[in-house]
Amino acid sequence: MMAFSLLPVFEWMESTPIGQTIRQSASLIALVETVHLIGMTLLLGTLLMVDLSLLGLGIGRAPAARIARELRGWTVAGLAIMLTSGPLMLSSEAVRCYNSPAFWIKMALLAVAVTFHFTVHRKVVAQEPPVQRLSAEWTACLSLGLWTSVALAGKAIAIFQPN
Amino acid sequence: MDILSICQWLDSTRLNAAMRMSTWFFPTFDTIHTLGIVLVAGTIMLVDLRLLGLALPSESVAAVVRRIVPATLWGFALMFVSGALLFTSEAVKLYHSPAFRIKLALLALAGLNALIFHLTIYRDVAHWDQAAPAPLRARLAGLLSLAFWIAIIAAGRAIAYGSGYDLG
Repeated sequence: MMAFSLLPVFEWMESTPIGQTIRQSASLIALVETVHLIGMTLLLGTLLMVDLSLLGLGIGRAPAARIARELRGWTVAGLAIMLTSGPLMLSSEAVRCYNSPAFWIKMALLAVAVTFHFTVHRKVVAQEPPVQRLSAEWTACLSLGLWTSVALAGKAIAIFQPN
Repeated sequence: MDILSICQWLDSTRLNAAMRMSTWFFPTFDTIHTLGIVLVAGTIMLVDLRLLGLALPSESVAAVVRRIVPATLWGFALMFVSGALLFTSEAVKLYHSPAFRIKLALLALAGLNALIFHLTIYRDVAHWDQAAPAPLRARLAGLLSLAFWIAIIAAGRAIAYGSGYDLG
């Protein structure tokens, strides 16, 4: 049994004027989802490029470190857009999300993906000369796998209705 | 035979019935469709941002295009096949959705923009390969492409939530 429950926090989120306003407007929900998808497009598009470079499929002979440096602003922008629009979507149906296993799986995967990105991934990408092929390949595959899982878990929140 | 009767015929097929009976059809292909669009838009946006001089300034335009276009085409294949199946599963409903028509028009415009870019200014990319930002006409193509893809994503969401189309 849990010592405390986060449910009141989720109930409060849903009761805020922002949560209520978004909840009652189909166009606002569509707008926030669009912004969330554009953030995802930037984040996944830039990370795909960096990870392809780690796999030896980069742009010309450009090292992954340079590709990552020249895309970092957009990767961070994509993440920032998602981390802003995400809580807005959450506030419109916080209690439903609280009861949704997919939501908690997504949050756990997101925590792992973000931690991995700013530690292992960043370190491997920045190394010049490039690290051994094998660890670069593992890092790229893990990165792509983790972020794709986050996206799939996000879709699952909408698909699976909690009991 | 007009388009509406084609849509009505699609809705009357056994394939359509099987799709609508299935619990898994819509979520699965909707997910593939979303990932396909993210892949197309996410890779094309990198080219657009490069043309505008806002990303990858040290890489040549031709090198960026060569690397990215295969991924874009894979994304497009996913998006197109899943989109066609999703359409077949509810053709008449989508026929009446204004957002769906807008999305198709935007897709055509995005394609036309890419085609004009490749057939005109990209032909002598060798002359401006290293320039960041690229020449005005290439920047214009990049800016239009960004706008079209953002609008395509928005139109897709509007299909789900907009008028003339009921999710339930």
